[in-house]
Amino acid sequence: MEAMHDVLVVGAGCAGMRAAIEAHDRGASVGVISKLHPTRSHSGAAEGGINAALGNTAEDSPEKHAFDTVKGSDYLGDQDAIEIFTREAPGDIYQLEHWGAVFSRNDDGRLAQRPFGAAGSPRTVYAADITGHVLIQVLYEQLQKRMAEGMTVHEEYFAFRLVIEDGRCTGVICWDLLNGGVKLVTGKSVILATGGAGRLYRATTNAYACTGDGMAMALRAGLPLKDMEFMQFHPTTMYPSGILITEGCRGEGGYLINKEGERFMQRYAPNALELASRDVVSRSETTEIEAGRGVNGSVYLDLRHLGPEKILTRLPGSRELAMTYAGVDPIYAPIPVRPGAHYHMGGVEVDNWGLSEVEGLYASGEVACVSVHGANRLGGNSLMETITFGRRSGQAAAEHALSASAGNGAGEAARADAERWVKSILDNTEGERPWAIRDELGQSMLENFGVFRRAEKMEAQLGIIEGLSERYERGVVVEDKGEVFNSDLTQAIELGYLLDLASCMLQAGSARTESRGAHSRPYDFPDRDDENFLKHSITRWVGDGPELSYREVRMTQWEPMERKY
Amino acid sequence: MAMQVGLKIWRYDARTGDRALKEYEISAPEEATLLDCLDIVKDQHDGSLAFRKSCRMMICGSCGMRMDGGAVLACKTRMYDIAQAGQVPVISAMGNLPIVKDLVVDMEPFWQKMRSVDPYLQPRYDQAQERENVVQQKTMDVIHKESLCINCGCCTSECNSLESDPDFLGPAALAKGMRFVGDPRDGATIERLEKYSEAHGLWDCTRCYFCNERCPKGVDPRDAIAKLGAEAMKNGIDRDMGAKHAKWFVTSAKTTGWLRETELVPKTQGLVASIKEVKFAMGLARKGKVPPPFPPHVAAEIGESRALFDLVKAQGRDGALGIVQGEKALGRIESHHEAAGGRDPYNEPDSAPRPFLPSEREGSEEAVSQ
Repeated sequence: MEAMHDVLVVGAGCAGMRAAIEAHDRGASVGVISKLHPTRSHSGAAEGGINAALGNTAEDSPEKHAFDTVKGSDYLGDQDAIEIFTREAPGDIYQLEHWGAVFSRNDDGRLAQRPFGAAGSPRTVYAADITGHVLIQVLYEQLQKRMAEGMTVHEEYFAFRLVIEDGRCTGVICWDLLNGGVKLVTGKSVILATGGAGRLYRATTNAYACTGDGMAMALRAGLPLKDMEFMQFHPTTMYPSGILITEGCRGEGGYLINKEGERFMQRYAPNALELASRDVVSRSETTEIEAGRGVNGSVYLDLRHLGPEKILTRLPGSRELAMTYAGVDPIYAPIPVRPGAHYHMGGVEVDNWGLSEVEGLYASGEVACVSVHGANRLGGNSLMETITFGRRSGQAAAEHALSASAGNGAGEAARADAERWVKSILDNTEGERPWAIRDELGQSMLENFGVFRRAEKMEAQLGIIEGLSERYERGVVVEDKGEVFNSDLTQAIELGYLLDLASCMLQAGSARTESRGAHSRPYDFPDRDDENFLKHSITRWVGDGPELSYREVRMTQWEPMERKY
Repeated sequence: MAMQVGLKIWRYDARTGDRALKEYEISAPEEATLLDCLDIVKDQHDGSLAFRKSCRMMICGSCGMRMDGGAVLACKTRMYDIAQAGQVPVISAMGNLPIVKDLVVDMEPFWQKMRSVDPYLQPRYDQAQERENVVQQKTMDVIHKESLCINCGCCTSECNSLESDPDFLGPAALAKGMRFVGDPRDGATIERLEKYSEAHGLWDCTRCYFCNERCPKGVDPRDAIAKLGAEAMKNGIDRDMGAKHAKWFVTSAKTTGWLRETELVPKTQGLVASIKEVKFAMGLARKGKVPPPFPPHVAAEIGESRALFDLVKAQGRDGALGIVQGEKALGRIESHHEAAGGRDPYNEPDSAPRPFLPSEREGSEEAVSQ
């Protein structure tokens, strides 16, 4: 049976589009499916910048970038992957610039670079505070160029199952949002680039679309997920909406103050102050708020001293967001911020070429766990990861596809099976609407598996997730019975994904009896335990629940040291 | 605190063609946006309501729709004032695009036009250089506003020219075109200007400014179209009637300081085509609406007018840089910061306290140690 595409890319944010471009340029016929139009992807909401050691503003090197990343990861990052990452990043940035990315410039006309948290040198390339938007635009521009050369983009296709035959991935099953119907899309190689799962939390910077589809599909297809307990909380998300205010605000000199005006970070990170690593800053804020020194469960991000000129030229988007969603003009008043779920360090376990355990199945971007970020990601490293590892997985997937045969046609049976399943959901009229389960999940995850983690709360949360899963399994009611743009149906399916992933996260989190990076247990296990936990957690779905094991961290030249900022 | 919000939503089923205006009354948090309210309707009142959404922070461009007849981004529209005023807004799908269902439109015509302007950089250099192109920030600032476009379609929805000519390229695609014409790294400037100047192109804009008015990101597409026009003229691409029309305004003002309307028609349409207008012109003349063409009226101090043109050219503002632009661009929206001169952010009655380091606190020793 003929495959529709050599390489099929699922998801069209930065990682997916970069992978698709690379596979196309290497001679593969490429299909892209995305549940949103590509430029609607949440990569576009990234603000602050993208890290590469160009040395344009101050001396820098890939080695320094690698060390900062290893230290930032709390030594859980795989060091061989990090070395590849920081070595190849500069070339990838130049490539983006040659494609036309509208980056900000230094006085000498070269790419400007700003300081970012836990970075030893100003190495964050940026476009004011809309870097993700600029990258999404330039990648879609290049995609459109290749669409004229034969690349196919299936927009508003919602992928919900992988087709695995004889230990090989040969396609995905989708729901066609615009026209309705369960469709099979096949490819000799499949790249997952579906992004993160921030919607597990009520307070999140993530878009509605970030529901962990790719991770959950892979999990249910028997693939291992890695380091699922590590969810990064971004220190500056606005109260009450959870909308992101970039780390670039602090990179440009912004202060964090408590209700007394005190720049409290000096008490937690005396050298780096506001530019300590994200996990450190989020913990410091939470401590301040819990000690009663916050305002409405928030602290303040103060930009007043930067002055109108700097705010208007370097941080115009943040100002617009603050004015629209917090009713605050940062030129005159500080922005209320608090930690919010932002980025999943964990994901589908892949090697340095994005290859998963299953032949023909690749993953890159937030859905994947290479792992570059380990237990805590540095700001500016995720956009870079989408580009560098998107490119690498595109290359590897193309090479595989060009020498592989098509699948033997198991896809149609899988499609028919999926169609019956979708029909059963649509036919169900008994039960509750999904939103209550969704809201309870988001609220309880925030309370019980947030910045600080307590054994008894995690225990309670496991019970809550079990209860919510039971309610979900009993059947939820999709009120829209139609075929056309049935987002009621897709949102109900997404909720199932979130519940699966939540149980994986809680299991891995409870078992990790130490504090490392974003996983912080100050009440029972305040220290890092390299003897027992300098290793990745691996979660597989076995029977009807997750099963946990561990894998060694790949080390090259950096021995774990105490981590101070 | 919760508030009551009323919404009237145009429901539409493209398969059956059924339309209905349905009213909903919901309870929402006071900070709710229109998008939040639609979510509440969908969750708790009617799960079949269809609309697009994703980022809910004005960057993905999914949730363009109309409120009381004008295009808005639902996630950017706070409902508090509207609800407090007792207003029940009518929500409908965007204009100028086929409706798929309820508030969801088929964006394909929008993207098809976007693709038709070759929306990707055509590098000036054949060989990729080892490092980045060196470009001054000031040069890139020319396309700052155009590069803010999120493809939401609000401008397209409101475009009057598109309404009468569905083949018109439209504000979004033309703004995208300007994003490349103004980019010093692009090597296809002339080809682009030729292409965008063809029929249904940049000269078909009626200058109603609705796109500028409705763009949620301050892209100001009409300004982009004006910049394209100016660049086209500067490069001698002026065969289109619209270009000739504009060009005559310039020539006329430069040479005599006045608009010589009698010559406007032949200069725009050409001599042969304008002969057809003779009868109409005679009618106008009888009513005293046509000034005698000869000798042309020349303004006093015409030298000053001519000097102005020379000055603009000497400053390099005879192309895109000469277009006076609105200041609605990102971040400057409702800024008023200049007007607030003298305002001290640290000493107003409700100002947050002035920042200090713990080590600066008087008598503090524990501060630095931890």
